[in-house]
Amino acid sequence: MSYAYLFKYIIIGDTGVGKSCLLLQFTDKRFQPVHDLTIGVEFGARMITIDGKQIKLQIWDTAGQESFRSITRSYYRGAAGALLVYDITRRDTFNHLTTWLEDARQHSNSNMVIMLIGNKSDLEARRDVKKEEGEAFAREHGLIFMETSAKTAANVEEAFINTAKEIYQKIQDGVFDINNELHEIEIDCMLFSDCFVNEHNCMIVIV
Amino acid sequence: MDYFRKYLGPSQGGVQPTGADTVERLVDRVQSSTLLDDRRDAVRALKAMSKKFRLEVGTQAMEILIKTLETDRSDAEITGYALDALCNIMSNEPSEEDDETPIQVQTDLGLQFTEIFTKTPSNISLLLSMLEEYDFHVRWPTVKLLTTLLTNRCKELQECILVSPMGVSKLMDLLSDSREIIRNDALLLLIQLTRNNGNIQKIVAFENAFERLFSIVDEEGNSDGGIIVEDCLLLLTNLLKGNISNQNFFRESSFIQRLTPFFDMDSEAQRSQAGWSAQKVTNIHLMLGLVRNLVSPNNPQQQTAACQRVMFQCGLLMKLCTILMASGVPADVLTETINTVSEVIRGNLQNQEYFASVLAPSTPPRPAIVVLLMSMVNEKQPFTLRCSVLYCFQSFLYKNEVGQSQIIQTLLPTSSDVNTITAGQLLCGGLFSADSLSNWFAAVALLHAIEDNPSQKEQILRVQLATSIGNPPISLLQQCCNILAQGGKMQTRVGLLMLLSAWLADSTVTVAHFLASTANVPFLITQVSASDSDEHELLVQGLCAFLLGICCLYNDDQNETFSRASLRQIIERRIGLETFTDKLTQIPKFESYTKAAKKPHLNSKQASDIIFDYEFTSIFKSLESDVLKAVSSAAFMEESKKKMASMQEHEKVVNQYKDLIQEQDQQLNETRQLYQIIQQKYSNQEKEMGEMKDLIQQLKDKNALLKAQKAPSPAVEDGKKDEELRSLQQELENLRLNLTEKDSTLGRLKDDLTRAEAQIITQNDTEENKENNPSEIAVLSATVNRLNIDLQECRQIITNKDSEISRLQVQYNEAVRQVETLKQTAVVNSHSEEDTSSLKKEINKLKEEKSQLMERIKKSNEENLKAIDKYNKLEEEKKSIENERLGVEDELDTLKKEQEDLLVLLADQDTKIDKYKTKLKELGQQVEDDDDDDDDLGDDLDDEDEES
Repeated sequence: MSYAYLFKYIIIGDTGVGKSCLLLQFTDKRFQPVHDLTIGVEFGARMITIDGKQIKLQIWDTAGQESFRSITRSYYRGAAGALLVYDITRRDTFNHLTTWLEDARQHSNSNMVIMLIGNKSDLEARRDVKKEEGEAFAREHGLIFMETSAKTAANVEEAFINTAKEIYQKIQDGVFDINNELHEIEIDCMLFSDCFVNEHNCMIVIV
Repeated sequence: MDYFRKYLGPSQGGVQPTGADTVERLVDRVQSSTLLDDRRDAVRALKAMSKKFRLEVGTQAMEILIKTLETDRSDAEITGYALDALCNIMSNEPSEEDDETPIQVQTDLGLQFTEIFTKTPSNISLLLSMLEEYDFHVRWPTVKLLTTLLTNRCKELQECILVSPMGVSKLMDLLSDSREIIRNDALLLLIQLTRNNGNIQKIVAFENAFERLFSIVDEEGNSDGGIIVEDCLLLLTNLLKGNISNQNFFRESSFIQRLTPFFDMDSEAQRSQAGWSAQKVTNIHLMLGLVRNLVSPNNPQQQTAACQRVMFQCGLLMKLCTILMASGVPADVLTETINTVSEVIRGNLQNQEYFASVLAPSTPPRPAIVVLLMSMVNEKQPFTLRCSVLYCFQSFLYKNEVGQSQIIQTLLPTSSDVNTITAGQLLCGGLFSADSLSNWFAAVALLHAIEDNPSQKEQILRVQLATSIGNPPISLLQQCCNILAQGGKMQTRVGLLMLLSAWLADSTVTVAHFLASTANVPFLITQVSASDSDEHELLVQGLCAFLLGICCLYNDDQNETFSRASLRQIIERRIGLETFTDKLTQIPKFESYTKAAKKPHLNSKQASDIIFDYEFTSIFKSLESDVLKAVSSAAFMEESKKKMASMQEHEKVVNQYKDLIQEQDQQLNETRQLYQIIQQKYSNQEKEMGEMKDLIQQLKDKNALLKAQKAPSPAVEDGKKDEELRSLQQELENLRLNLTEKDSTLGRLKDDLTRAEAQIITQNDTEENKENNPSEIAVLSATVNRLNIDLQECRQIITNKDSEISRLQVQYNEAVRQVETLKQTAVVNSHSEEDTSSLKKEINKLKEEKSQLMERIKKSNEENLKAIDKYNKLEEEKKSIENERLGVEDELDTLKKEQEDLLVLLADQDTKIDKYKTKLKELGQQVEDDDDDDDDLGDDLDDEDEES
C-alpha cells in the first residue's frame, strides 16, 4: 500500500444532492438508492494512478444539513481538493452554491482545487438546472465543472481523478508552497525515501 | 505575598471576618485600581486564597477574574494568576490543605462553578483564544482550566468547542507544543474532549492525531514507556472505540501495521527485569484493547474482516500468538491476549487456519488449541482465563466447517494414537469431570463444534465411550442424557441441555437416536411438569421444554411411540399446553439470558454467573416460535406433515430423474468408449496407410534411380535390374496383400460403425421422452456423424491410394520397357574430358587465393612488429616512473624520520617544562597549568631566569 502522494478531499453541498452516493460509487463501485442522512462526516479512501504515480485519496464526506455546518468547517483545513456538489433536478441547491463557495474560500487554503459537480445527470427528464448554467458558474468562479450520475457511475471516476490531476499539476508547477504549514499533500517518506530525494525540487509538504 | 499577609494577618487574631471580607476587599481592589501592578498583586492574592476559600473566591471573584482575562490580556503574569485562580475554584481534586470540608461538597462546588462559567459560551471562546498566546504562564493554566471544565461538564463544553471555529483544531495543535509539560497536559485534555463524542473524535483524527500519537508512543518506548504512553493509548482508544469512520481511516492509512511493534516482547529484557511492571501491564492491556476495538464482533462484518486481513498480513496475529505461548506473561495479560486473538480470528478462515497451525513450545510440541483447552478444563486456572479460552475456541470454530470437522475427528475412534492428548479427549474429560464449570465449558465448546453443521452432528453420534471395565461402551449422546438424569449442579445440567438442544436441532437423525432410548422423553416430561419454583429449577425446566419441543419439531415419525402426534398428545396430557408455553417463554426473561445474548464474548465476573451461551441464545431465538407451533397447533403439524409429504414426493421425483440421468450417463459412457475404440482403429489404419505411402515413395525413388542408372551402364546392370524387377514385383505383391488386409479391417470398421449407429438410434429412441439432457444426445449424434465423415474420408483416401498404386504399376511397366530398349542400344560414353578441364580451372582459382592470403599474412606480421616496439617503449617509461617513485618514497621516509626526531625533541622539552613548573611551584611561583604554547614556554623560562 505504498504511495507517492496523499491528497485530502472534502465533499460539500446541500443535503440530499448525493455527496455520500458519489463517494460510495467511487470507493465501492455501488449505488445506494435509499437516502441515509450523513451525521457529521464520513471517511472514504481509494488509490489512483496519475502519471504513473500511485496517489492515495483520503475523502471526507460531510453532512449537508445546516446544523452540522460548524462541524464540517473543521475539515477544510488541510484539504487539497473540494467537490462542490449540487443536484441538477433542484434549483435551490444550485442557488446555494455561492454560500458554499464563500464558506470554502474562507476556511480553506487558497490553492485548494474546487470541482463543481452537477449530480443526478441520469434524471434528464426532471432537469431543473441547465448544463450551460453550471458551466457559466464554474467559469465565473474559476472552478472545474462536470455533470455526474452516482447512480449510473457516469463521470464519477473522472470527477475525482480530474481533481487529482489538477492538484498534481499544481505540485509540478510549484504552487503548493513548502513553507506552508498546511499539510494538504503528504508524501510517505518512509516508504518512498527515494522518491523524496528525487523530487524534493517540487514543493511538497512533509508532515 | 504582601497583600496576602496584610489581609490575612489580622484574621488570625480577630473575630471571624476573614475569608469573605478579604475576598471582597481584593475584588474591590482589582476593580478600582488604575495601576496594573496593584491589580496584578490583588489577583495574585485572590489566587493564593482560591484554594482555601474556594466558595468565597468563586462566588465573589469569578466575574472579575474573567473580566481580567479580557482586559489585562496583554500582561501574561496577571492572566496566568487569574487562570490559576479559576482553575483552583473549579477543580475537584482535594487539596492537601483542607481536610475540614467533606469531598462531596467539594465536588458539588466545582460542578456548580463550572456550570456558572460555561453558561456564557463566550467564556469558552475566550479561553480558546488564550491558547494563541505562546507564553507558558498563560498557555499551561489555560490547558489545565479547559481540562477541569471538560471533566466537570463534558457535554456542554464539547458542544461549545465544536461550535467555535477551529476550536478542536486549536486544541489538537497543542500536541505539537515543544514544551513537554504542555503536550502531556494536552493529552489529558484531549482524552476528556473526545469522550463519547463521535464528531470531535473524527475531527481530532482528521487533524493527524494518529500519526502524532504513534510517534509519541514510539519516542517513549512503546509498551515499556510510562504514563505518557498510557495517556496516548487512552486517547487512541477514545478515537477508535465504536467509531467506524475513524476505524476505516485508521486502517486505510496503514496504522494497523504500526500496532505490530507494540507487541514486540524482547525476551532478554523480560528475563532481566524479572516480571512485568504495573505500567507495562496497563499499557499492554490498552494496546490489546485497541486491537479488539478494530475487530469487535459488534462492528460491521465487512469492516472487521478487512482489519482481520491486514492483521494477518502485517504479522500482528503472529506476534499475539507468540505472547500466547510465551512464558512469564501475567495471567490477566494472557487472558486479554487470548480474548484479542479470539476476535482477530473469529469468522476469518485464513486467520483460523493460522491459529490451528500454532504450536506450543512444549516437548513434544502440541497444538496451541490443545494447550489452551487443557487450561479450560483445569479447575485450578483463573476463571477469567478459562472463559477467554472458551471464547477463543468458539471464535476458532465460528463459520469454520473445516475446524469443526477437525475437532470432531479427534473424538472418533479412527484417530488411533493413544499417547497424544487431543482436543476431543480434553472435551470429553471436561464434560464428565466432577467440576461443574468444566462440564459447562466442555458442553458449550462441543456445541460450537457441531453448530450449524449437520454432517458433524451425525458424525458425533458415532462417538462411543468406555464407561467402566466390563460394561459395554455407551454412546456420547446417551451418556449426556444419563448425566442429565442424575441431576447434579445447575451449570452441568444447563450446559448439557444447551448441547443437546443444539445437537438435536435441525437433525432428524439425532432426534431419532435420542428417542430410541425410552427413558429420555419421560425424564423431560417429569422435569417440565415439575412445579418447583426455584429460579434455577425454572431455568432447567424451560430448557427441558425447549428440548422436548425440538424432538417434536424435527421428528421423522419413524419411532411409533414418540411420533409427532404422540409426543404432542403426551405434552398436552401430562404437562398441558399452557404450562409448556409458560416454561418455554420464561427462558428469554432470565437476566443471564439477555446478558449472554448481547455479544459473543463471555463477560461474567464470577463462575456462578455463567449460565447461557451466546450461540445458544441465537439458536433459541430462531427456533422458539417454531417449537411452540409444532407443539401447540395441530394445523401446523398437519401442514408440516403435508410439507414433509410433498417434500418426500418431490424427493421421489427428483430421485427418479437422478436415476434416469445416471442411466443415460452410463449409456453415454459406453458409446464414448465404443467411439474411442473406433477412433483407435482408424488411427492404426492411417498409420498403415502412411507406411504404404512411404513404400510407394521408395518405389518411386528406386524407379528414378533406375532411370538415371540405365544411361551409363545399362548392360552391366541388366542382371541387377532383373533382380530389382523381381523384388519390385514382390513388393507390389505385398502391397496388394496389405490393401486387401486393410479392406477387410475397413469392412470390420464399417460393421462396428453401423452397429454403433444402430445403438445410438435405439438410444435416441429411448431418450426421446427424456428431455432432460438433449444436449448430450446431440453431442453423441454429432460424434457419430463425425465418425461417419471420418470413415468416408478414410474410404476416399484408400481409393486414392488404389489409383496411385495402379499408376505406379503403369510407371513400373514403362520402366521395364525402357530397360529393354536400353539393353538393345548399349553405347559407350565418356565424359572425363570435360571434368578435367573444370578441375584445372578450380586449381588455378585456389592458387590465386593462396597468394592473396600470403600477402595478408605479411602485412599483419609487420603490424605486429610495430606493436611490439610500442610495448617496449611503454615498458621503459614504466620503469622510469617506478624509479621516480622509489626516490619519492625515500624522501618521505627521511621526512618521517625527521618528524619523529622532532617529536622526541618536543617530548623532551615537555618533560623539561614540567620539571621547571614543579620547581617553580616549589619556589612559590604561580604557574598556569595548561600552558603548552611555545611562547608561554618561553615566558616560563624567562620567569625562571628572572627568579633564578
